[in-house]
Amino acid sequence: MPTVMELYQLLPKTNCKKCGESTCMAFAVELLSRKKKIQDCTPILEDKFKNQREKLESLLLPSEGAGETGMIVHTELCTGCGNCVVACPVDVANDPGGAAIGCAPTNDKVIFKVVDGKVIASNIRECRRFGKNRVLCYACIDPCPTGAIEFV
Amino acid sequence: MGIDVGKFLKNPEYDIRITTYRDVFQVAALECDRWGDEFRKYSAAVFMSKIDMAKMGFKKGDRVKVSNTNGSIVVEVRETKRDEPGGIAFMVNSPWSNALVSGDTGGRGIPEFKDIRAKVSLSKDEVTGMEKLVVGN
Amino acid sequence: MVTCTGCALLCDDIEVIVEAGRIKETKNTCLRGAGRIKGCVNRLVPSIGEQRVDVGNCIEKAAEILKNAESPMLFGFDNSTSGAQVKAVQLANKLDAIIDDTSSFCQGIMVEKVLRQEFRTCSLDDIRNKADVIIYWGSDAQDSQPRHLSRFSYFPRGEERQRGYEEDRTAIAIDVRESNTAKICKGHFYRIPLKGDRRFILALMDALSGRVPKFDGYDVQKILELSGILKKAKFGAIFAGIGLTYSIKDDAGILADLGRMLPNFHIMPMIGHYNMRGFNENLFRETGFVNSVKFGSEPVHDNRYSIAETLREKSIDVLLVAGSDPLLSLPRSIAKSLAGMQVVCIDPCVTLTSKISAVNIPAAVSGVECGGTAVRMDGKKVELSACVESGFLGDEEILGRIMEAV
Repeated sequence: MPTVMELYQLLPKTNCKKCGESTCMAFAVELLSRKKKIQDCTPILEDKFKNQREKLESLLLPSEGAGETGMIVHTELCTGCGNCVVACPVDVANDPGGAAIGCAPTNDKVIFKVVDGKVIASNIRECRRFGKNRVLCYACIDPCPTGAIEFV
Repeated sequence: MGIDVGKFLKNPEYDIRITTYRDVFQVAALECDRWGDEFRKYSAAVFMSKIDMAKMGFKKGDRVKVSNTNGSIVVEVRETKRDEPGGIAFMVNSPWSNALVSGDTGGRGIPEFKDIRAKVSLSKDEVTGMEKLVVGN
Repeated sequence: MVTCTGCALLCDDIEVIVEAGRIKETKNTCLRGAGRIKGCVNRLVPSIGEQRVDVGNCIEKAAEILKNAESPMLFGFDNSTSGAQVKAVQLANKLDAIIDDTSSFCQGIMVEKVLRQEFRTCSLDDIRNKADVIIYWGSDAQDSQPRHLSRFSYFPRGEERQRGYEEDRTAIAIDVRESNTAKICKGHFYRIPLKGDRRFILALMDALSGRVPKFDGYDVQKILELSGILKKAKFGAIFAGIGLTYSIKDDAGILADLGRMLPNFHIMPMIGHYNMRGFNENLFRETGFVNSVKFGSEPVHDNRYSIAETLREKSIDVLLVAGSDPLLSLPRSIAKSLAGMQVVCIDPCVTLTSKISAVNIPAAVSGVECGGTAVRMDGKKVELSACVESGFLGDEEILGRIMEAV
C-alpha cells in the first residue's frame, strides 16, 4: 500500500481546493482511504500531469468491491491458487471438512471462493477485521503469492 | 578483457545470461490462444534486475535485440517483480526464449533451456511476432 | 464434480456450469485450470494439406502416411488419457516406430527414478496429513501447479497437522529466482547460483554429516541452519522441480544420495502436463523404459530416440503429435526441421505445430469433452469424466481408428 507522502508527491501541490479539500495533502489522505477518486482532482487530468497521473493510478489499483472491512481483491493479480481460501481462519472454522483441509468449500459460510480462476470474497461480516472485536488479521494477505488481497 | 568494446558502438551490446521460468498468467493465455496478443504480451519480454538495467542503460519498456548463434529476437525489457541481485536475466519459457536455445543436447535429449548466453542491445525494431518464430528462416 | 486436466494435480473437486453445450463458469479451479476447462478460442479444423475435409478422411490419410513412413515417430500423449497412451504404445509397436513424450526433455529422469524405486516417495495425501518440512527445489509450484500449496503441501490442515501451517509446517524454497513460491516461503528462501544445485546438495550433505559445508560465496551458516531444520523433520518432502532436474540432469543420482541421508524425507518430481506420469508408467510397464523407445524385434531405449535428438538429427520422416506442440516447446534451431517432414497433428486446438502439419485431426479436450483415467503426479489413478457433449473424438478413439487402418 502506498503512503500519504508518496501520493502527495505526485499531486499538483497547488492547494487549489477544486477537489473540495483545503490542501493537496488533505486530498492525499482522502485518496489513500479511498474516500476520493483521482478524477476529483481536476488539474491532474491535464496533459502535463500525465506521467504523475499514471503513477498515481498504478499506486491506487481499482478499489471496486472494497467491502465493509476495506478488503479489496485485485482480480487482475489473482491466480486462483486458493491459498487464502484454505488459510483464512474463518473458512477453517466454518468448513472443517472442505476449505480447512485444502478442498473446495463445501458450504456457503466461507469468506473466500474461487470462480473462473479468481477469488471472490463474500460473507464479509464474518471477517475477523469486522465488528466490535475486530483484530488486525493478515491470514489472507500473507499467503497470497501476488499481493492480490489488500485492506484499505 | 578490460576494454568495453560496446561503448564504441552506437547501441552498446552486452553479454547476458538468461534463465527461463513459468508464469501462470502466460500459461492461462496459452490455454486460451497461443497465437493471441495476450500470450505474446506475457512471453516476448526479458526481465532484468534494476541493477543490471541501470548498468546497461535500459528503461522499462525499451525494446532490445537479444541474439546468439541460435537465433535473434526483439523483446521488451521489464523489471523483475522482486529485487534480484543481478547477473541473470529471466524469460518466461516460450517460443521467444526457444529461439535462443541451442539444439545441441550433448546427446542427452535435454536442451539447455535454463542457461542461455546471448548479447543484448537496444533496438528500434518491432517485437518479434509469432509468425516469424514459426516460419522464420 | 469434474476433474481438472490443467496440470498433474488433477484436482477432482471442480464444479462447472454448462450452458448451451459450453462451459460458462468454473468453480475452484486455479487460473491455469480455468483456462484448460474453458478451452481455446481456435479449435482445430480437420484438414489435409490446408484443405478442410471430413475427420474420417484425416484418419485414413494419417494411417496412410504412417504406413508409408520409413522411420515414423509418435510423440506427445502427456495431455491424453491413459487409455489413449496405451493405444499409442500399441500403435508404435505395430509400426516399429519411435515413441516419446515431453518427459524426455522434462521430468523423465526423475519419474524413472521413482518408478525404479531409487527415490523414497509418498502420496500427496500423505504430505497433506503428515508433512512438517517441505522443500520446493527449483520448483515454482505457485505458478506451475497453482493449487499445490493450498490443496496438499503447505496450507491445509491434515490428520497430524491440525494447528495450521504457521505452527505445523516449514516451507523452504531453493531456487535461482525469488519466485512466487519463494515469496510464500519467506524466511526460508535459499537463493542459489544458476546451475549451483549440485554444489548446494554436496554442501548440504556435508552439513548433514557434521562437516563444515564448502560453498564459495555462500553463507555457511545458512546451510547449517537448513541442515538443522531437515534433521528435525518428522515427515519431509522434497518437490523436485524442473529447475533442479535440468541442473543435475547428468548426475540425478546425487538427489537419491541426499535422500539416503534424510531417512524421513520423500522425493516427488513436480510434473506439469496432466498425464505425463501416466505416459511414463504405461510405457515403463510395456518396455521397462519411461520414454525415448524404438520398437522393433524388441523395444530399445536410447537418448537418440528423444524428440530433441530425432529432430536435430532429422532421423525421422513422419511425426505423429498428439496433445503436444513441439514447435512451441522445443528450441527453434531443431524444431524447424519439422517443416521438412510429414506431420500428423492431433489436438483440440490450433497449435504452432498444426500450422505446418500435413494432416490435422481435432480432438476432444480430455476431462471436459471425453472421459478416461489419468495418473496424478504422485502416482494416484484419477477418473476423468466428460461434462460437455462436443462431438469431437477423444485421442483414444482417434488412435484406435488409425491403428485399425494401418
